[in-house]
Amino acid sequence: MTQTPTIIESPHPTGLPADASPPAVHVHDVTVAYHRRPVLWDVDLELPANRLIAIVGPNGAGKSTLLKAILGLVPLASGRVTILGRSLHEARSLIGYVPQRESVDWDFPVSALDVVLMGRYGRVGWLRRPQPADRDAARESLNQVGMGEFADRQISQLSGGQQQRVFLARALAQDAAIYFMDEPFAGVDAATERAIIEVLRRLRSGGKTVIAVHHDLQTLTDYFDHAAMLNMRVVAAGPVREVVTPENLHRTYGGRLTILEETAEAMRRSGQPGRG
Amino acid sequence: MQPTTRHPTVSVLTRIPLAALLVASGWLTAGCRKPSSSAEGNGKRRVVCTIGMITDVAGIVGGDRTVVVGLMGPGVDPHGYAASPADMREMSRADLILYNGLFLEGRLAEQFERLAARRPTVAVTDGIDRALLRAPPDFAGQYDPHVWFDVSLWAKATERIRDALIEVDPAGRAEYEQNAAAYLEQLSALHEETRARIAEIPRDNRVLVTAHDAFGYFGRAYDIEVRGLQGISTESEASLRDVNELVDTLVSRRIKAIFVESSVPRRNMEALITGCRARGHQVRIGGELYSDAMGPPGTPEGTYIGMVRHNVHTIVDALR
Amino acid sequence: MEDLLRLLRLQDVNTWIVLIGTGLLGFSSGIIGSFAVLRRRALVGDAVAHAALPGICVAYLLFRDAGFPVFMLGALVSGVFGVLCVSFVRSQTRIKEDAAIGLMLSVLFGLGMVLLRRIQNDPAGSRAGLKTFIYGKAAGMTWPDVALIASAGVLVVIVVVALFREFQVLSFDREFAAALGWPVFRLDVLMMFLLCVCTVAGLPAVGVVLMAALLIIPGAAARFWTDHLGWMLILAGGFGMLSCAMGTALSANVASLPAGPTIVLVAAGVFVLSMLLAPRRGLLAEGLRRWGMRRRYAMQNLLRAMWEAGEASGDFSTRVTLGDLLQVRSWSAGALTRHLRRAAAPRWVRPEADAYRLTPAGVEEAAKTARAHRLWEAFLLEEAAIAPEYAHRYADQIEHVLPPDVLNRLEVRLRAQGRIPDPDSTDRLKGGTPA
Repeated sequence: MTQTPTIIESPHPTGLPADASPPAVHVHDVTVAYHRRPVLWDVDLELPANRLIAIVGPNGAGKSTLLKAILGLVPLASGRVTILGRSLHEARSLIGYVPQRESVDWDFPVSALDVVLMGRYGRVGWLRRPQPADRDAARESLNQVGMGEFADRQISQLSGGQQQRVFLARALAQDAAIYFMDEPFAGVDAATERAIIEVLRRLRSGGKTVIAVHHDLQTLTDYFDHAAMLNMRVVAAGPVREVVTPENLHRTYGGRLTILEETAEAMRRSGQPGRG
Repeated sequence: MQPTTRHPTVSVLTRIPLAALLVASGWLTAGCRKPSSSAEGNGKRRVVCTIGMITDVAGIVGGDRTVVVGLMGPGVDPHGYAASPADMREMSRADLILYNGLFLEGRLAEQFERLAARRPTVAVTDGIDRALLRAPPDFAGQYDPHVWFDVSLWAKATERIRDALIEVDPAGRAEYEQNAAAYLEQLSALHEETRARIAEIPRDNRVLVTAHDAFGYFGRAYDIEVRGLQGISTESEASLRDVNELVDTLVSRRIKAIFVESSVPRRNMEALITGCRARGHQVRIGGELYSDAMGPPGTPEGTYIGMVRHNVHTIVDALR
Repeated sequence: MEDLLRLLRLQDVNTWIVLIGTGLLGFSSGIIGSFAVLRRRALVGDAVAHAALPGICVAYLLFRDAGFPVFMLGALVSGVFGVLCVSFVRSQTRIKEDAAIGLMLSVLFGLGMVLLRRIQNDPAGSRAGLKTFIYGKAAGMTWPDVALIASAGVLVVIVVVALFREFQVLSFDREFAAALGWPVFRLDVLMMFLLCVCTVAGLPAVGVVLMAALLIIPGAAARFWTDHLGWMLILAGGFGMLSCAMGTALSANVASLPAGPTIVLVAAGVFVLSMLLAPRRGLLAEGLRRWGMRRRYAMQNLLRAMWEAGEASGDFSTRVTLGDLLQVRSWSAGALTRHLRRAAAPRWVRPEADAYRLTPAGVEEAAKTARAHRLWEAFLLEEAAIAPEYAHRYADQIEHVLPPDVLNRLEVRLRAQGRIPDPDSTDRLKGGTPA
């Protein structure tokens, strides 16, 4: 299995030298299984800090699962994860999360501001109330994504793109070092997409890291610096212009069955009862 | 030498389950066969009864010629009673089935109709002239089934039981008539005794408040006013208004005691006490009455006559 | 009337008891039930209620007639057990939540019924009154029952107030809550436990079969009135309390009305009223809005059609017949006549012989409408990328809706095409007219 090279020397897109501090995320030999069926297999990955990183792969490749595995939302069958050199528990306050938009019932009785305020809850603590400073920070986050005037709007009255921006604002309110986003560009209109990528680039300039599950290959090289190509295991990872080659794409998205799928196919065939 | 040939269409593997199926169905249908009339093998008739009051009388009248089985034991409420498979088995083996009728055993009405086609099934209240029955307005045109509270009516039921036994077992006629006659005398004495004892209660205090409207016949026969919280059947629920009205009655007429029943929950009665107490009237629970079921077997209250005596004694004691 | 006075004077302690007891029950179950409704787990409450039955029976079989609190404890244990079963089935097998709930509910209730049948043969069985747990016996409530309900209610309210934020995030976005590092599993268990406690406390009053109604209906009704979680909870509590109070009052005044089912019917009435009358989400409001919108559009279309009829000749007050108009748009003759009559009221349209004309005021109004319409058209064609953002506003507010720079762009383009009407000039187009 090829070892993913840690990027130290290659030039940074913004011209700044890449830092030699610990990688944003280090995934060691992680396997995740649902009901004995492996979804992620022996994933070993180092994702550098201060980049816009995309996780790409076909449907069912385990992209969302990888994100959730890093964040401790699904149990690991094996392996471990470090974030900025620390355990998940220690690194909680450094993490921002934007889940998939459809993971939530948007008819819930909350306003946009309420949702963004949830991003501050990590700092507020148990049995204590949010301070005016938290509300201000929440409004500021909404402004950053261009949703300032929708603060008191019920979320069910927002369009898909607006909802996505509210989710993004919530993550911004978390004031994190690394932002994990699950399909942030899925199903949004062009204006929202532009707004989101603006925000992401601003984050990068501010020294933050963004790790996003991305579904659209056409915008991959425009939006992101770094990519991890996933199909149950890591096919390739590295600077986006290096790894997004036709061969890697082919290996990630199919055409020729990968080793795992070939083996699975063989196992299925041998399991059939003999005739006669 | 004959070559062995396998059966062309049915392999051994399918024969075994097939055989098992045949055996099982044979066994099941065998169980449905009508048992012979001398089921016990020793000539005794098997009589299955529902409530204890019937079981008691059937046992006395039947004497040694019968084996009597009661389905509903002490403390069991007949209004909501649903037959278990064991009960059904018992009834299907019986030589005679005796039940109260008038929808006392509300849930079993259908079953009795079906059984009547196969086995002698008799409602002991059959012989009672309908004119003698109570038809309370709020019981949807049905008669009040609690006839055993009027001893004179229960005497008529005894006669019906006797006649039913004679029908099933004509050879025992003499014994049945003798047993019944003796018992009827006792009932007659009990009837008079009860009348006398209730008369001991001063007229003002002569109000019997119980959990459900079971004592209607008692009230009519022995000249005592009766009030029940729930209706004729314990399946109906008491409303808040019923509770309030009864509290009103208890307070305004200064009634000393109310009575719980052995087969009905006490919750509602305790609510009455709370209501009265708040209005400054102390009412207590005068005792537990046997209404739809008798006491434990082997005790005096486990017989019909004993049960009636116990009730009367409790009532008179508390209200006098 | 006399009965009502009597009720108001609260002479009857029993009524008082049932009022307070069920009122508290309605309040707390409305609150905790709202969370269940929002999280689409409404039927879990029903499941807990049904699951409680075998627990009550087992408690009786083990401890005989040891008293009410023992039965309640048994109910709680088996209710909690039921919820755990649902969780287990849902997480460990392929069976989804609704099937898991239905499965567990019927199995445990069936088990309870079997045990109940067994108990009916027991000498003290009928007296223990276990069957009353099925439909409840509110009329026979006593102070100890009230105390039980009150303690359950106090517990629920305290926990919900203290952990409002946590419950809010947990219900809205469980994943996010987990990502924040919160112990979501334990919070879930706590919420379910509160639900169980509340459900079990309510069983003596309304029974197993109807308890779900007290949990679900108040929250569902409250949702129509507010878009804010806090207010929804308070409202749900209020509706629950109101339903119980009114149901009790009715039961106290009308003979043979059992309290439990009456409460549920009142709650259902509250729900129907909410569904119809709530100002924004109610059906009536929705219907009125739609009706108003159709009228507006009809008026706008009519004015525009009449205006455009005169556009070619430059005479915007030109004579327009019914037939002309019917050709342009798909109205029925009857509807068109009605619209024309409506337009005549503010004197925008003047009937003349068997035709109609726009009045000067009407021309002005029609020009405004036509202008807005044309701007919108242009906007949707040219600025499709940002169009969805603004699509939900009324077209005639276009000046207020679009950013000024977009408006300017569009006006310039339309003017160049000679297609932009000027509302200030009653019958001439400003800007370049095609030669």
